[in-house]
Amino acid sequence: MAGEQVEKRVKYKSSVKDPGTPGFLKISEGMLLFVPNDPKSDSKLKVQTQNITQKFTKEGSNKPPWLNLTIKQGRNHIFEFENYPDMHACRDFITALGKSDEEPKKAAVSTSTEQLSNKELELRFKLLRENSELQRLHKQFVESKVLTEDEFWATRKKLLGKDSIRKSKQQLGLKSMMVSGIKPSTDGRTNRVTFNLTPEIIFQIFAEKPAVRQAFINYVPSKMTEKDFWTKYFRAEYLYSTKNTAVAAAEAAEDEELAVFLKPDEILARETRQKIRRVDPTLDMEADEGDDYSHLMDHGIQRDGTMDVVEPQNDQFKRSLLQDLNRHAAVVLEGRSIDVDSEDTRVVAEALTRVKQGLMFHLKIADSIQVFSSLTRTISTAKNIIGKNPRESFLDRLPKSTKDEVLHHWTSIQELLRHFWSSYPITTPYLHTKVGKLKDAMSNTYSKLDAMKESVQSDLRHQVSLLVRPMQQALDAAFQHYEADLQRRIAKSSGGERPNGYV
Amino acid sequence: MIFKIEDVTVYFPYDNIYPEQYEYMVELKRTLDAKGHCLLEMPTGTGKTIALLSLITSYRLSRPDSPIKLVYCTRTVHEMEKTLAELKVLHDYQVLHLGTQAKILAIGLSSRKNLCVNTKVLAAENRDSVDAACRKRTASWVRALSTEKPNIELCDYFENYEKAAENALLPPGVYTLEDLRAFGKNRGWCPYFLARHMVQFANVIVYSYQYLLDPKVAGIISKELQKESVVVFDEAHNIDNVCIEALSVSVRRVTLEGANRNLNKINHEIDRFKANDAGRLLAEYNRLVEGLALRGDLSGGDQWLANPALPHDILKEAVPGNIRRAEHFVHVLRRLLQYLGVRLDTENVEKESPVSFVSSLNSQAGIEQKTLKFCYDRLQSLMLTLEITDTDEFLPIQTVCDFATLVGTYARGFSIIIEPYDERMPHIPDPILQLSCHDASLAIKPVFDRFQSVVITSGTLSPIDLYPRLLSFTPVVSRSFKMSMTRDCICPMVLTRGSDQLPVSTKFDMRSDPGVVRNYGKLLVEMVSIVPDGVVCFFVSYSYMDGIIATWNETGILKEIMQQKLVFIETQDVVETTLALDNYRRACDCGRGAVFFSVARGKVAEGIDFDRHYGRLVVMYGVPFQYTLSKILLARLEYLRDTFQIKEGDFLTFDALRQAAQCVGRVIRSKADYGMMIFADKRYSRHDKRSKLPGWILSHLRDAHLNLSTDMAIHIAREFLRKMAQPYDKTGTMGRKTLLTQEDLEKMAETAVQDMAY
Repeated sequence: MAGEQVEKRVKYKSSVKDPGTPGFLKISEGMLLFVPNDPKSDSKLKVQTQNITQKFTKEGSNKPPWLNLTIKQGRNHIFEFENYPDMHACRDFITALGKSDEEPKKAAVSTSTEQLSNKELELRFKLLRENSELQRLHKQFVESKVLTEDEFWATRKKLLGKDSIRKSKQQLGLKSMMVSGIKPSTDGRTNRVTFNLTPEIIFQIFAEKPAVRQAFINYVPSKMTEKDFWTKYFRAEYLYSTKNTAVAAAEAAEDEELAVFLKPDEILARETRQKIRRVDPTLDMEADEGDDYSHLMDHGIQRDGTMDVVEPQNDQFKRSLLQDLNRHAAVVLEGRSIDVDSEDTRVVAEALTRVKQGLMFHLKIADSIQVFSSLTRTISTAKNIIGKNPRESFLDRLPKSTKDEVLHHWTSIQELLRHFWSSYPITTPYLHTKVGKLKDAMSNTYSKLDAMKESVQSDLRHQVSLLVRPMQQALDAAFQHYEADLQRRIAKSSGGERPNGYV
Repeated sequence: MIFKIEDVTVYFPYDNIYPEQYEYMVELKRTLDAKGHCLLEMPTGTGKTIALLSLITSYRLSRPDSPIKLVYCTRTVHEMEKTLAELKVLHDYQVLHLGTQAKILAIGLSSRKNLCVNTKVLAAENRDSVDAACRKRTASWVRALSTEKPNIELCDYFENYEKAAENALLPPGVYTLEDLRAFGKNRGWCPYFLARHMVQFANVIVYSYQYLLDPKVAGIISKELQKESVVVFDEAHNIDNVCIEALSVSVRRVTLEGANRNLNKINHEIDRFKANDAGRLLAEYNRLVEGLALRGDLSGGDQWLANPALPHDILKEAVPGNIRRAEHFVHVLRRLLQYLGVRLDTENVEKESPVSFVSSLNSQAGIEQKTLKFCYDRLQSLMLTLEITDTDEFLPIQTVCDFATLVGTYARGFSIIIEPYDERMPHIPDPILQLSCHDASLAIKPVFDRFQSVVITSGTLSPIDLYPRLLSFTPVVSRSFKMSMTRDCICPMVLTRGSDQLPVSTKFDMRSDPGVVRNYGKLLVEMVSIVPDGVVCFFVSYSYMDGIIATWNETGILKEIMQQKLVFIETQDVVETTLALDNYRRACDCGRGAVFFSVARGKVAEGIDFDRHYGRLVVMYGVPFQYTLSKILLARLEYLRDTFQIKEGDFLTFDALRQAAQCVGRVIRSKADYGMMIFADKRYSRHDKRSKLPGWILSHLRDAHLNLSTDMAIHIAREFLRKMAQPYDKTGTMGRKTLLTQEDLEKMAETAVQDMAY
């Protein structure tokens, strides 16, 4: 590489908005040189090529071919090329220089936007080495560009996580103090009180009161400032603490934003209903109510002192300390569910909401997983039978090569389907292309299955087709979904001109 | 292991047995031999359930000519499932040793809400709406109508079950509720109706107390059980309360308003039927003239709750003439509602006997006692005639008719108490008319009369001689067993003073004393810092707990507690409490532990275990006496004194101490477990109170632990926890045998024979 150099006609821009100075860019080993056409121009440039990182515009986007070089010292230099091939040539040259300079950097550049540490890479290699099935999948999909390296590993975080647990930093838990324990400070002269809110307190309020979190997302900053929001919140808290429900009701009737804080938390109630289905059955006291006919409406004994009365709970502007305590302890137990270290309240609120929705979204995904559950069942029963009674298994009666092929198709279909279903709903063009690639790979596999069915001996054909059928069914379901979604998109994109109600 | 008790070969599915389990079986066997009833007190954690199941099923096997049926009553659904799980183990063992002849059918039975598998029906939120949703799909007239109108939605599971008819049977085996649901789903048969149908064939039935004690349900579910049955009431320390609750009913303003709305709707329906299908009303009238007994002529799917009065009290006679016609009956009910409304409009507390209430009802509203008695059955007949399925909306009128039937049936053992407001909240007008039963023996009498043997057993039945008086029966065996322990794994203490030497108590004049509240708080603050894992606190009532937690919150004590452990609380909302308990357990599983605040007599104290690390310390704050100014309690005490010669004070102390024992007993569920119990009230140091605690607690309560201050208790707790952390020998050495093998038992039998010979 020594002695080589590249020279291209470019425009040099000191910033994005700069119209640019035309000139020549010369790159040789160790040195990067810009010579402007106009010799009077002061935008001459001479930089060492070590420690350069580069960004560039993608081909096909409607932006001109720009190369953005960042020097370690922190300066950016943008060069606009006349065409893409020129830019690529320069880019590759710089990359090559970097490679020869620093050996470990090589891997990082060759992978992707995500900077990977050596450790992680080693781990990936180790996993591939140890697991031939994984290796085969990796080879099949990553090297044929159906999936990117990251996508492939993203579904296997568990495998990676197990070993990398040591390096994960320990998360700080929440303070056990109640939020209602925040005492305001007063200046002693006026009736004004001041609350000091820290990000931690805000996080806790948002975690314990989803309705407040939602209100924040809805109102700030479109309807009110953050300061006004919190003023209103503490006004509501003050109304609670006075236990004067009449005043609270009156103020809530006048001020609908304030009412949000005073009303029972519906998001919380919804979460509760979901959680109750998952509790340990030995604790489910609700089940006992099913057998209790003595306390049917107004039956049983009401006022004998065993069942003691607390003032009616149904008043909607009343919230008890006991409920708050339970909620608080539950949130502390849950710990910090998000890893956002932001001062920006809105970011925190949105991150929390996402986490909660994520939980629900997982449930939805579970449905689509059922699509290939039948598939898994067929194969796994076949596998089980191998262990138990070899003579009974038709999978075992197949020639070894066919058997391996079936099992391999099965794992690769699972891999493809997993990526396929998790790409929906399609929200970005990136996902769109990904789904297209996956679909192609799947139809490829589909025809391979067909071919396999044809190629086996006739006495085994029926049993093989039995094995293959659920796989193909699962693929069919995916194709169907793909087509339906495509149709919907086309309809949507051209639907603007259609009158309402057009079907 | 297999061993003999006298002439019965007992199959016990474990290799070792506790001595007290063996003794328990011996006593139980004598009861069965004598065909009588018994009372057995044995601490929880000693394997009571398996001893019971093992002996009774073995007894059945040894008497193949007269097979007995076991009816096992539990208080909660999860106890039901636990019992059936133990029975499964036992059943497998017996089948292994005896072959198919040992096969039995055992089922759990619960409400539709817990057994239904139809997702659309289950979507209803509570028991009553699930019941109603089921009836809407399974009532005979709905199904008949659906042949004409195909768009009526039926339940496939019920249809398949009906189609299978006689063939819808469960193969032998042990079925938990979960198993029943799975079986039903698999076969496409309704598990609820299948289980109900199998009750008559099953060898073992496990269900809730109420299915036998509450006439409203017992009349439907349990009426066909044979006499040769052994009925077991497990965890029966509160059985008297279950009995009186089953026969009590009250009426409020909202009840009356709802009942009036129900009557309007019924009237509307009657008019509709008159216009379209007058023949049906006439047919009903004729049926009532002939005096057809209402019960028995209805198909299984259509049944409502049964009459609230007990079967033997209902005469098999014709319904009185003045309520045979539907519209006449509605008029009578209107008059009844009006009269009740007038009675509710009172300024003073009134107490009346049923006899005088009925006579004034007769003179002022013209409704006779006999008419009242038939109200419930007449209503049921009318609603069936009118084909009403949304039964959950008709609860108010049912309540009123229940009341009428009860007041018309029983002349003694009840009183009617009308209160314009709750004693403790005089500023809120909330008039209520209560018909309260005082005599627990009324509800349980048919059970004692009908069945061969009734076994009442629990960890706390002290004093054991009081139960036969409360329930009016004569047990052939009545015994309290001690717990044999390899080490002193429970440590009860009585705390009488705070660190400042001031006495602590929840006595009425002291409970709001800031010193007491502070000392109670400081006790917990100190304890949470030295006790690992879970700590449970019981308070005497919700309102007291509410108040004390608010004060602790204001004074910063709660904050100090929270620095050590998370705090969870039982509230009056069952769902919230369930979640709090779930979180509490998780906190105990994965962290520094937690504190659970709960209430004596509450649902948690009744049914939830705080065993192992879920409860290393339980604090009972105060003595959980009932609210002694309650008019109902006073009336009951008066009745107990006059009828059974039980002194008021004795009964109140007995009742409070059994609740306290029940609370602290939650903490220890097996012999390998350990836990401390603190009775935090100076009154526990008095002999007359303390002596009412069950023997297995008393025997561990040392004299030195009877009068402790907070700092002394902390010291003892530290010592105890250190001792429990040492390894120990599970079989028990040092002369105390706590695990018997088959050889030990054979040796014991030999010496017994020798003793008899001499």
